[in-house]
Formats: sequence, C-alpha cells, structure tokens
Amino acid sequence: MNLRRIAAVASKEWRETTRDRMFLTLAFLIPFVWMIVFGYGMVLDVENIPYAVLDYDHSALSRDYLYRFQQSRYFDFRGSLHDEREIEGLLAGGSVRAVIVTPEKFQERLVEGRSVNVQTLVDGILPLRSDITRGYIIAINSAFSREMVARYVARVRHLPLDQAQALMEPVRLDVRYLYNQAVKSTWTMAPSLVMMVLSLFPPLLTALGIVREKERGSIYNIYSSTVTRHEFLVGKLLPYTLISVINILVLWSMAVFLFGAPFKGDPLFFFVASVVFVLCTTGIGLVVSMLVKTQQAALIITLLIGLIPTINYSGMFSPVSSLTGGAEVASYLFPGRYYANIVRGSFLKGVGLNVLWKDVLILAVYAAVLRTIAFHLLTKRPRT
Amino acid sequence: MSVASSNWYLCSRLWWRRLGVMTINELLQLSRDGALLFFFIWSFNANVFLSANDMKLQLTNARFVVHDADHSVASRELIHRFHAPLFRFDGEIAQFDEGLRILDDGQAMLVLNIPPRFQEALAGGEQTTVQLQVDTTNSPQGLSAAGYVARIVGEFGSEVAAQRVGIAGAAEDDLPVIRSEHRVWYNPNQTEAWFQSVVELLNMITVFAILLSAAAMVREKERGTIEQLLVSPLTPFQIMFPKVAAMTLAILIGTAVSLFVIVQGVFHLTVKGSLFLFFSMTALYVITTAGLGLFISTFTTNQAQVGLMTILVVAPMLLLSGTWTPPEAMPKGVRYLMLLSPLHYFVDISYGILLKGIGLEILWKPVLAMAALGGSLFGFGMWRFRRQFA
Repeated sequence: MNLRRIAAVASKEWRETTRDRMFLTLAFLIPFVWMIVFGYGMVLDVENIPYAVLDYDHSALSRDYLYRFQQSRYFDFRGSLHDEREIEGLLAGGSVRAVIVTPEKFQERLVEGRSVNVQTLVDGILPLRSDITRGYIIAINSAFSREMVARYVARVRHLPLDQAQALMEPVRLDVRYLYNQAVKSTWTMAPSLVMMVLSLFPPLLTALGIVREKERGSIYNIYSSTVTRHEFLVGKLLPYTLISVINILVLWSMAVFLFGAPFKGDPLFFFVASVVFVLCTTGIGLVVSMLVKTQQAALIITLLIGLIPTINYSGMFSPVSSLTGGAEVASYLFPGRYYANIVRGSFLKGVGLNVLWKDVLILAVYAAVLRTIAFHLLTKRPRT
Repeated sequence: MSVASSNWYLCSRLWWRRLGVMTINELLQLSRDGALLFFFIWSFNANVFLSANDMKLQLTNARFVVHDADHSVASRELIHRFHAPLFRFDGEIAQFDEGLRILDDGQAMLVLNIPPRFQEALAGGEQTTVQLQVDTTNSPQGLSAAGYVARIVGEFGSEVAAQRVGIAGAAEDDLPVIRSEHRVWYNPNQTEAWFQSVVELLNMITVFAILLSAAAMVREKERGTIEQLLVSPLTPFQIMFPKVAAMTLAILIGTAVSLFVIVQGVFHLTVKGSLFLFFSMTALYVITTAGLGLFISTFTTNQAQVGLMTILVVAPMLLLSGTWTPPEAMPKGVRYLMLLSPLHYFVDISYGILLKGIGLEILWKPVLAMAALGGSLFGFGMWRFRRQFA
C-alpha cells in the first residue's frame, strides 16, 4: 500500500463528487431533506381522534359520560348526531374516525344497577390506529364503570364510598413507561431516521461513484495504472466515508436539537459505532458496484437491499420479536437490526458498550466480510 | 368532399398514426431496459407482498417476563391470561432488578411485577397494585401493549370484585357497568395486510409515475436520439404524450397484476367498490403525476440523476399523503402542505373505493381536487418541456 497513491485516488474522487451537482445533492441535501420530511411527517401518536356522538338517552348521566371523551386529549369532538343514518357518510368521508352511541335508558339502567351496552363504531382502515383507539375507549368506559359500581355498592351495602371503591377495584395497574416517559413517537422516530438515512445514502454514494467510472470508461485508467486493488478501494471509499461521517454528525444534531430526542448514552461510543455501521453500509455499496454495469442498476439494487430491509426487518416499525419465518432470518442477515439496537440503546436507553458490544462486533465483522468480498470481486482484468 | 376536408382527414390520420407508433416504440424501449423492468416487476409484486406480509404494526408476540413475588394460584391465574398472539411469555425472573436489566438488553418488552401477598389481599377484600414496566422505545407498540395489559388486568379485577359482592356466575347485568360493544368498519377482522398492501401499491404507482416518465425522456437524451426527434416532423406534444400514454398503460397493467394476484389473491381483500372507477382514477392520477417526471427530465441528463431526483421528490409526497399518518395526527402546518400533494387525494379515493366501497357520490371532492392539482402539475411539466425545444 502506497499512501501517496491512495491520497491521489481519494482527492480525485473528492473533487469529482463536489464538482458534480447531482452528487453533492445526494451527499448532503437529500439526507437532510429526508430527515426533515420523515421527522415531521411520520407521526405515530394516536391523538386528536375525530369522533362524533349519538346520544339516544339525553340524560344527565349520558352527558356526563360523553363529556369524558371531550375532556380527553386523545379525542377531538366533531359534533352530535341525531340519526343513525348520518354515521355512514361521516365514517366513509373520513371526517370522523369513531362514533359513540349511547342507548336509550342509559341513565335509568345504570341507576337501577344494571349494565348498559355502549356501541362504538371505529374506522378500521389503519389497524394499528383503530387498535389504540379502541384501547382508549375501553379505558374511559372502565373508569366510568368503576365509579358507577363503587357508588352503587356504597348505596346498596351502606358502605363509605372509598371502601366500596377498594372493594370493587381489587387490582390496580401501575404502568411505568420506560425510556420514553411521555410515549412520544418523535422520540421513537428521530433515532430510527438516523439509521434509515445512514443505511441508504452511504451505499448509494459508493455504488454510484464506482459504477460511474465503469459507465464512463474512466475505470480503464485505473486498470492500466500502478494503483493496486487495495489502494483503489481504500482511496475510493475514503471520501464517501468522510461524507457519511459528516452526515452522522448532521443527522445526530437534527435528531437531538430539531426533534428534541433525548440522547442518554455515550456520544463517543455512539459515534464510533455509527462509523462502524457506515463502513458496513458503504461495503454493501461496494459489493453492489462490483456486480452491476450501469448507474441506474446500481441505484435500483442499492435501494432494494439498502433501504427496504432496514424499514421492514430492523424493528423500525414492527419489533423484531414479531417477525417470523423468512422475515426473521432476513432481520439477522441485514445490518439494520444490530444498528437499531445501538441507536435506541444510545438515544433512549442510555446503555453503552457493556450491553451493545455484541452488536458492534457483529457490524465490524460484517464490514470486514463485505470488504473481502469486494476485494475478490474487483479485478483489473475484466472479461469484457 | 372538398379538398380541404379530405386533407384534414389525412392529416389527422397521420397525426394519430404517429402517436400510435411512438407509443409502441416507448413500450418496446421499456421492455428492453432490463434493470428498470426488473425493478418494475419486483416493486409491483414482491415488494407489495413483502411489505404487507412482514410489516406488523399491530401488537404481536410482545415478549414479556414476570416477577411473581407471590407464586399463588391467583397470580398464576393472572399470568395465564397473557397469551399468543398478542404476548409471548418468556419466563419468570427472581429479582425485581433483573427486570430492568432485561429491558435494557432488549430481551423483553414488558415486565409485570406481582407483589407478595397478592392472593391474600384479593381474598381479604383489600386493594393491591400490580406494576407493569413497558419499553416504549417503540412508542405505538408500547402504548398498545400497555392498553392490552390494562384491559386484561381490568377484567381479572372485575371478576374478583364480582365474587366479593357475591354475584359471581350470575350475569354481570347485576352491576351498573358499561359494556363496550365495538364494531370495526371496513376491515372487521383488522387484517393489517389489507391496509399495508394497498398502501404499498399506491406508493409504487407514485414512484413509477414519476420515474418512468422521466426515464423515458432522459433515455433519449442519454443516447442522443433526442436530436433525431427534434428534426422529425413531430410536435413536442407528439413526442411527450406517447411516453406518458405508454407508461400509464404499463403502470395500469402492473397495478392490475398486483391488485388481482397479490392484494386479492394472497391477502384476500374483497374489493367493495367499483374496479372500473379505481382504474380510471389510477389512470388520471398517473397521467397527471407524470407532469412531475417530465419536469425532472428537463434538468437531468442521465438515468442515475433521474433516480436521485425521484428519491428526492417522492419521499415528501409519500409522507404528505396520509398513507401512514392520517391528516388529523399531523402538525397543523404540515396538514396544509398535504393539500398540495396529489397523492393525498388519490389515497382518499383509493381507500374509499377499495376498502370502504364508496363511489363518486362521496368522493367527488377529492377527485376534483386531484384533477385540478394534477392538471396544473402536468401543464407545468409540459411547459418546461416545450421550452427545451425553443
């Protein structure tokens, strides 16, 4: 290895990248835009659910009950209906996501100590959202039921109210939300986005950068030069790795300062682990570039193996524990899963090397294997 | 017949013939671009299948461990209520502190702590507290899990309460409680694959509406055949429209295969609305969105640049469309931006037709908005495109 030759390849690559407007955009603008757009646009919190009510009882108690939805920050009251036939149009047009129907004799039955059926109609198009919506409705219903029962038992058994409450609610549940106490989806998304961007753009830059030379034919200069295969690979990768390292810092700052995600871990550890991940993903780009001939094909293949597995199999949306069969195998094969642990561990959990060493090690081995494969695929004596 | 009118007739026949020949030319070109064709087929089939099959946003197999300090019949009875498909029981831990370590390691998502004297308290009419620790690094999952646990513990509690006041076995009717009767519309079994596969199909339609039209134009530039087109007797419209038409045809075929084979065949979605309406709307959407592709093609010179610009343009469009996040959950400012994305209206229309089974009587508003927005987008692309020839 000759350092001067590596430097020559690297500086040539750097100049080419910074002078090509498209490459510069790809290197710095698109990651930034993605972070902004996905950070603000991908909201998984289920709040302000638009709902309407249909109250057949018109009693003090039914109003009191329905008012609890109005008070909740999860629901957004959009009006009272007078007829069952209005429901369909509202749900179909998407102007409300839920309708709550209180039956006749709501108050009468409850005061007599009998149960009532409250019907809720929920728009089921987005299953996760309708699941959570149903959960909120059930929570409000059970809280209301508990009060009703306690009051009823207190009246019938002549007990003080608090004693009746303790009697009728034997088990309380105390929920502690760990790592993300306010359960904000931006805290989940912002760190994941760092991972998503780093798993697409570094390999894309690398693959396009090398295939560009093949397409233009300038790679023949390399074939006939004294630059060895090692020197070529190292020199080529240096600028792209550098750009990606700058991007790590940019994305990290955006996650923390723009989206307010907490960073509880060790910044140095996170930085080093991220560089290892970048070495891994640029390695993917490198291997892709050895296998294809056109930039277009490089772009497509990198998208398919860089971005899609990260979104589907790294636990970004669906946790890896819910994956089964082929998807579970895929989750082990792509580096996203391991880096996802590092990202969430460092941002939200505040754990470091003592917990995450395995993931870093796997990524390092992964990067080394990809380098070796690429080295063996690169030949200065091409067949065509 | 006058000479003028027969002349006009010949000219218009020639005009249509040229359009037809150019359209066939475009279809052939597309079918010979190996990488692009592979990507096209992959996206409409494998990709739609994989995302719908593997993206499980609903709670499944949430791993949970229990710290049971009571080891009684009652505590076991409670633990047994957490089962598949929602939960996966991963064993008991001896120490309370161990729970935190397991959560830190990411080996479990939930830790349930049952206090000592649990059974005794229940039997003695006291109130007792069960603690749940939830890993909320994935917030919707954590929230959903906590909701289910609350429901299970609540049901367990009310059964114990019913026994205490001596009405166990008798109908719950004897207590003044609200029984929640849920009816989930449009997807009663909450099959997530229905939603995910339709979302992915719409995304792919958008990606290719932009990518294919831009690629078709830039291909001519790349190979230098644009010079031939420029000296040919074709008008800019005759050069451009066949590209859009050929590409719309290709996308409609892709959509049909994906819808019939993957969405309906594999995931058993029963389309409730009119398929004819859906395909007409898809055609309208693709043609108008192609304007964006033409616009991109005016300032790019090779396929790779087209790909990058598509990545840059499509991502915001997908996000501002309400596929994953409905408008009401978006921040206010973003909600207004959504009105500018044609995909936003196409999503409303497609969900309406495919999942809700409604027609134009409700959907006329998004259809009009999409046509107006798409029309101006197409006009803008066309205008930029013409300027290239000047």
